[in-house]
Amino acid sequence: MNLIDDDTLQAYVDGELDAPSAARVDAALAHDAVLARRVQQARDVRAQLRAVFDPVLDEPVPARLSALLQPQSAQAATPAAPRVLPVDGGGIGTTRRRATRRWFVPGAALAASVALLAVALWWWQPGGDLVRMQGGQSFAAGALTHALDETLASEPKVNAPVAIGLSFRSTDGRICRTFVLRSPPARAGLACHESAGWALPVLSAVTPSEGGGELRQAASALPPAVQAAVDARLRGNVFDAQQERAARDAGWR
Amino acid sequence: MNSSDAVREGLIPLLPRLRRLARALAGQVADADDLVQIVLERALARAAQWRPDAALDKWVFAIARNAWRDELRARGRSQHLFAPEEAGEMTADRASAQPAQQLELAMALAALPPDHREVVALVLVEGMSYGEAAELLEVPVGTVTSRLARARATLQAHLGKDA
Repeated sequence: MNLIDDDTLQAYVDGELDAPSAARVDAALAHDAVLARRVQQARDVRAQLRAVFDPVLDEPVPARLSALLQPQSAQAATPAAPRVLPVDGGGIGTTRRRATRRWFVPGAALAASVALLAVALWWWQPGGDLVRMQGGQSFAAGALTHALDETLASEPKVNAPVAIGLSFRSTDGRICRTFVLRSPPARAGLACHESAGWALPVLSAVTPSEGGGELRQAASALPPAVQAAVDARLRGNVFDAQQERAARDAGWR
Repeated sequence: MNSSDAVREGLIPLLPRLRRLARALAGQVADADDLVQIVLERALARAAQWRPDAALDKWVFAIARNAWRDELRARGRSQHLFAPEEAGEMTADRASAQPAQQLELAMALAALPPDHREVVALVLVEGMSYGEAAELLEVPVGTVTSRLARARATLQAHLGKDA
């Protein structure tokens, strides 16, 4: 007989029960292994969430945030301090912020980003050596780094595991390159060069219809998520063969 | 000291917790700090509304939750383009040091409906009591309890998968 329902059990775990109710759960726990396991699972969720988010407490607070809390006189002396916006008149979330800030994504896009991360995790298996995580970002590793560093789209390597597509200079100044991993299941992504390596802002599975056979034309095989990432960054033209070679010789800077 | 100064000074020690809450709500690092900036701006603009007998942390957390909801609504309407560069910039800043299980948990949290995510953020991450969360969210305690139970079951399923 189990009189401890889920709400009661959860309240017990979260310290929300009054003493007599908590004592009843304690008593039941002593001889109910199933109940004990449910309690442990509920505790685990909390403990793991804390493990994920508590490190934020120890991160340095970005200067742009702490600057907002400086006394007015100090703010005046700090030209870089962000302006305090009026709340009324639609100041927040309108033009300035829309124009200059990325903001968190709506549900569908969030789901997309979760799916992309799922791909990243799927790569990031023990033994998987194409992606590494650093500071919460995905970076190329191993053979993928090598291909991004060395391979020219103008000199494709037919049997190489990685096909390079477009190369271009992003709106933020970094050089970015699209790539396709040929070995099934085919995956495509965008890599942008920075000091820490090739950051991978987007990774996506290539469905067979998108893949279209041999994936000879890596650029034309890009999944929509990768294409969107390219479109969001592309200003001007993609590199021609000469520019691509020059960029490689300059270390992709 | 006027109320603006009191709020300004009171918010400084709250910044780490505010950033943690924002991270749990908004998910991604850049977004979370944008949210914190909006919250600070609003809190300072509304400092006159804060009563010194009210706890500043709960007051500012309520502002954070409402600002987050406002932005979700605004985004929903405007069909704002997904900024793909954020895909790799997940919740966890220390992903390299985190087991895959925790990354998956962060993803599962980000995928929860907003009603569930905010309860998890307030109770399980920030550590509010059910009653405090209910008051902040302006819903009955029973609603907090049931949302939390459902959210927890979802998150637990993700943990269980790897266990």
